Amino acid sequence: MSAYDEFAKEKQEIDALLDQGYTVTGMLETLDGAKVKFGSGEPAKGSVELLLLTADARKYVTTLVFAGLQKAQ
Amino acid sequence: MADLSIDLAGIKSPNPFWLASAPPTNTGYQVQRAFEAGWGGAVWKTLGDPIINTSSRFAAVNFNGQRVAGFNNIELITDRPLDVNLKEIYETKKRFPNHAVVASLMVEPTQEKWHEIVKRVEDVGVDGLELNFGCPHGMAERGMGAASGQQPDLVEAQTYWVKEVATTPVIVKLTPNITDITVTARHAVKGGADAISLINTINSLAGVDIHSWNTIPHIGGKGAHGGYCGPAVKPIALNMVAECARHPEVTVPISGIGGISTWQDVVEFMLMGSTAIQVCTAAMHHGFRIVEEMIDGLNNYLDEKGLASVTELTGKSVSKYSNWGDLNLNYKVVARINEDNCINCNKCHIACEDTSHQCIDMLTNAEGKAILKVREEDCVGCNLCSIVCPAEGAIDMVEVDSGLPPMTWNERQRVVGSLSGSYSKAEVV
Repeated sequence: MSAYDEFAKEKQEIDALLDQGYTVTGMLETLDGAKVKFGSGEPAKGSVELLLLTADARKYVTTLVFAGLQKAQ
Repeated sequence: MADLSIDLAGIKSPNPFWLASAPPTNTGYQVQRAFEAGWGGAVWKTLGDPIINTSSRFAAVNFNGQRVAGFNNIELITDRPLDVNLKEIYETKKRFPNHAVVASLMVEPTQEKWHEIVKRVEDVGVDGLELNFGCPHGMAERGMGAASGQQPDLVEAQTYWVKEVATTPVIVKLTPNITDITVTARHAVKGGADAISLINTINSLAGVDIHSWNTIPHIGGKGAHGGYCGPAVKPIALNMVAECARHPEVTVPISGIGGISTWQDVVEFMLMGSTAIQVCTAAMHHGFRIVEEMIDGLNNYLDEKGLASVTELTGKSVSKYSNWGDLNLNYKVVARINEDNCINCNKCHIACEDTSHQCIDMLTNAEGKAILKVREEDCVGCNLCSIVCPAEGAIDMVEVDSGLPPMTWNERQRVVGSLSGSYSKAEVV
């Protein structure tokens, strides 16, 4: 699989969660990738965690949070 | 025609081209010939207690057909009595009153020694002094040159001692044989330096003869480390100049040195913060008259840019030189191959396939012709293909919109830091 395809797959998973109303609530970078916690305002949905392996996906998700924080300021 | 004259901390010269303290500035005969050829200034070969040199002294590194890509020397400071040099400096200054004559100095690190030589040298009318804290060989074993220049406290103290008696501007010449050159630069400033010059030569061994097993050069079968200079060291020098230029505590003008061979090199050093530049190896390789081409080239460049004075170049690129952590991670370039110029040598494919990101495919087009094509989505924009490509205009690196707003590594890490709190210590383990 090309590097882009690996990223595209992870990006799709991120975007899908965001579309479902989840937001990024936690992140932990480890030797094996970035664990990203997605939370929802609806208790029934609970939280979901993704382990992002590709550099572009790890960059993408933090860019979204960063841009959101910038917008809020 | 633009004004090429410069003023480095009060030392004026008709152009920014100075010969560095080295074999080309050993005698009045040489310096005067250099001024006749067009050089605007010269830093006289280092004065101090006269030494004795070895034979031989020089070696060059040739690379892929280019002679003198790098140059190595084990020559020391002047081997002539101070009085002889001073008479020639006096005569040279008398003949060329508008050119910059700077005396390079190196003595033992004591206040008395520095006071003595500064007074004697200034008596003959030099325009400035350059303290040689950089020579990496021979003198360092005696506690001078790089041995002094590698100790920030000694740089500061010796600069201070010189400034106690000097009436002309004092330039401190720095050694690159140190982890962080801005440390010694800052201490030179603290000692009162009016300017700094960098870089001196880099510790080196030019080579080993694989047949005789002797070092290159060797002196009767033995060798010793020397100082490396020439075009090969330019990127190292340019970085050190830029690091000093952008450091907030290095507040003095810079004389840039290190592999400068063309007028384009001069422009680069000035853009990165140099007020003036010094040349040695290129003059040793091609003779004093290379300055004619440098002057013409610089003049034409300034005219094309619509600049009235060469001083307008100084420091213009410094703000563009940053820390890695402040670069935009979402900026993106990709390689594009121009089939019209591609010669199908496949070097880009091999380089990308073997040592980069495997994104250049070898394909056949509709006419049955072999072509190379970049899968842009997989290209990380590393530049390697365009670097190895031998055909002019065959590969362009083009900017593409990543669709993401700018974000630096430092900004990203702040985001990651703010989000990591939701993970407990147990989870971290």
